[in-house]
Amino acid sequence: MPSKDKVLEEVIHTENIDIDAVLDPAEPDGVFRDSRECAALALQAGGTQLLLSPPTPRPKKG
Amino acid sequence: MEQSSTSALLQGTVLDLASDVVSALRSGDHVRAGSTLTGGGAGEGVARAAVRVLGADALLPSVLLRVPPDPGQLAVFKDAVAAHPPRDDAAPAVVWSHWAMARTLRRVEHPLTGPDAAEPAAEPGAAWLDEAGWQTLTHQLAVLAPLALPGEECAVTRAARRRPVDVARGFVRAVRRRDWQQAAGAGRWLTLLDGVPDTLGLAAGLDFVRLMGGSDPRVALQLEAARLMPAAVLL
Repeated sequence: MPSKDKVLEEVIHTENIDIDAVLDPAEPDGVFRDSRECAALALQAGGTQLLLSPPTPRPKKG
Repeated sequence: MEQSSTSALLQGTVLDLASDVVSALRSGDHVRAGSTLTGGGAGEGVARAAVRVLGADALLPSVLLRVPPDPGQLAVFKDAVAAHPPRDDAAPAVVWSHWAMARTLRRVEHPLTGPDAAEPAAEPGAAWLDEAGWQTLTHQLAVLAPLALPGEECAVTRAARRRPVDVARGFVRAVRRRDWQQAAGAGRWLTLLDGVPDTLGLAAGLDFVRLMGGSDPRVALQLEAARLMPAAVLL
């Protein structure tokens, strides 16, 4: 591609960029490591009560 | 498709530019700060847009380390300020980031008299920060991290100074969300604020952010700024 066309293409592309959206971004979704959050999500999903159950008691040795 | 490829190009240039700034902050070499802009790696329009996205931090080495900017780099910075003014309906963060760039430009061009000597632009309002909850406050302050400078005096810094505990809570939230960019930006603010709870463990928190997110140049830039902040004096 001739360099003039390349420059023109670049100018057109740059004008298409929504700078404002980049400058004021929405907060990205977080990746929580909070057990209470996980529990709430699991409840919403339904059918996962087993995962929320406390661990099965094991007999004490000796 | 074109939009996404252009956005990817812009994003890549912003990362390159941020890497340059990090190198300059670590080494004190102002030339490195402008190598992406003056080395012909990016097109002129994209480079200008990338500077606008990185904002006033594109000249952070000059401001914090008191080294004059590379003339080519300064020219692109000026172009970026002129070419991307905020629209009338722009969000406050967009208006403030442009204001910060214009202020930095004046600061660099008039280092002896200071920015106040040639202050043409009226300071935008910051009421939206006072009304914001601590989560939004921290997010917005992280976006406006280029304003977190020692001795900076504007409505955003005053709003941050009034709510150190809220920013500390936001820092912890950002770490828990693994939003390293927000955590680094909030951490940079916290190094400047009085009244930050000792129980926050800011130094250890910033080390953790560096360990987890420091490979992103935008995160590394905020962390380098935070590291230099206590010793720096504003240009």
